[in-house]
Amino acid sequence: MLFSLEEVIETISAVGVETFDIRTISCGINIMSCTDSDVHKCAEKVYEKVVRVARDLVPTARTLEKKYGIPIVNKRISVTPVSMLANAFTEPTAVPIAIALDNAAKELGIDYIAGFGALIQKGFTRGDQILLNSIPDALCSTDRVCSSVNIGSSQSGINMDGVYRMAEIVKEAAERSRDTNGLACAKLVVFCNAVEDNPFIAGSFLGPGEAEAILNVGISGPGVVRAALERANNLNFGELSELIKKVSFKITRTGELVGREASRMMGIPFGIIDLSLAPTPAEGDSISDILELMGLERTGCHGTTAALAMLNDAVKKGGMMAATYAGGLSGAFIPVTEDAGMCRAIEAGALNIQKLEAMTCVCSVGLDMVAIPGDTPVDVIAGIIADEAAIGMINHKTTACRLIPVPGMKAGDVVDFGGLLGKGPIMEVGRHSPSVFVRRGGRIPAPVHSMKN
Amino acid sequence: MNNNKEQVVITVLGANKPGILAGITRTIADSNVNVEDVSQKIMQDLFALMMMTDFSTANCSFEEFQNRMQAMADQLRVKVFIQHEDVFRYQHRL
Repeated sequence: MLFSLEEVIETISAVGVETFDIRTISCGINIMSCTDSDVHKCAEKVYEKVVRVARDLVPTARTLEKKYGIPIVNKRISVTPVSMLANAFTEPTAVPIAIALDNAAKELGIDYIAGFGALIQKGFTRGDQILLNSIPDALCSTDRVCSSVNIGSSQSGINMDGVYRMAEIVKEAAERSRDTNGLACAKLVVFCNAVEDNPFIAGSFLGPGEAEAILNVGISGPGVVRAALERANNLNFGELSELIKKVSFKITRTGELVGREASRMMGIPFGIIDLSLAPTPAEGDSISDILELMGLERTGCHGTTAALAMLNDAVKKGGMMAATYAGGLSGAFIPVTEDAGMCRAIEAGALNIQKLEAMTCVCSVGLDMVAIPGDTPVDVIAGIIADEAAIGMINHKTTACRLIPVPGMKAGDVVDFGGLLGKGPIMEVGRHSPSVFVRRGGRIPAPVHSMKN
Repeated sequence: MNNNKEQVVITVLGANKPGILAGITRTIADSNVNVEDVSQKIMQDLFALMMMTDFSTANCSFEEFQNRMQAMADQLRVKVFIQHEDVFRYQHRL
């Protein structure tokens, strides 16, 4: 027999008991060809192209789920940053494009579509300004559209005017979606060193260096890693790392298989596998649980950053050999409201925003799905974004903020966004003001190690 | 020698009782799917069966075959998993 019964049962129980799944197949679509000075005509072209190119995405994923017995949780689409098209618009709005994307997602049965964004790490084009001004309206008048804006990079420094503008937009989007607890902000990511091939929503977009269309795969599997750790006791760090690497290899190989097959079936090139452990609010599907199994009393206690660094590194090492092309964000995600274990750690007083910030130095992607008090001033939000961006810029890694200043709520209250976005406590933020600093204007120069040429 | 094989792994798990193997293999035969290898164990009271099959000769679609097998599994009160062999090859073989 080609496989042993034990091997087959291991694969089956990873899905049945340990919540292993392919988190997402994302189809990136270049929409530059849809450009038009008339935003409404452009929107029609965008709708037509997205629906045409991604027509088979959901049926293909369903076929593969049955063929391999592995759930593919999300089928998603990303497009070229819409600001690039907005440069041509006579009318200063990009909202019709968001509505076209929303309609296309609904037509295709896709829950989120991303790329309503801009790359402003060095400055603003006219199209960027149009796009930024449209974000609150776009997020509040659509259900499935996600937006991301890159405000800094290791090569360019940090556009602090962009940081401040994004803080204003976060605040405005929260207020405008007050009746859903600021839900619009759950669909808005502010990046430093954004990657062009990230398959994970909300920060996904098809970068300008990418092909006409591409399929990227995001794996998952915190539950599988947790289950492996539960079965193993008294391992030293070398043995622990080995164990995580083996599990990561297996789950990434499955992603590779699904990506290759989906690519063959759809006739769209396979881009990358994102080697990320992505938690969900489901019990047991938690990064925090893994950290606690590694020997921390509570996530957030001293030692958490080291544990997360080791976990993240082992996942990558195991996954790298399994994937032909690794890319995207590739690291453990630590979204707060989407991870029940993280929420418990906050409620226990073990995890605060300062420790969370430290953790983002060693994993992807940043302060993700962090609910903060609704009365947090714009200046403080700008300070939080600037700190995260600085970590990314100096460490040559991607960092991001997905902050939700929940209107009317204060630290300790619990907010429920529903579904995959989860629920969790409002985190306390610093109350001293960075106003003078964040309002200086201009750009933080690129760090010295950007000069490699 | 059939070079266009489509190898599918069938796994059956459940409480041991008479008739499981008979019921499962009857459905496989009715679908004209060829069994190439069988491995079976009783672990405590758990019945665990794995079969390597060639699906290329089947008289129905993959989905229909899954439905037929699921109906039989429900009748026998066991769990059945029908997966293309690639998923195991990718996970367990370099």
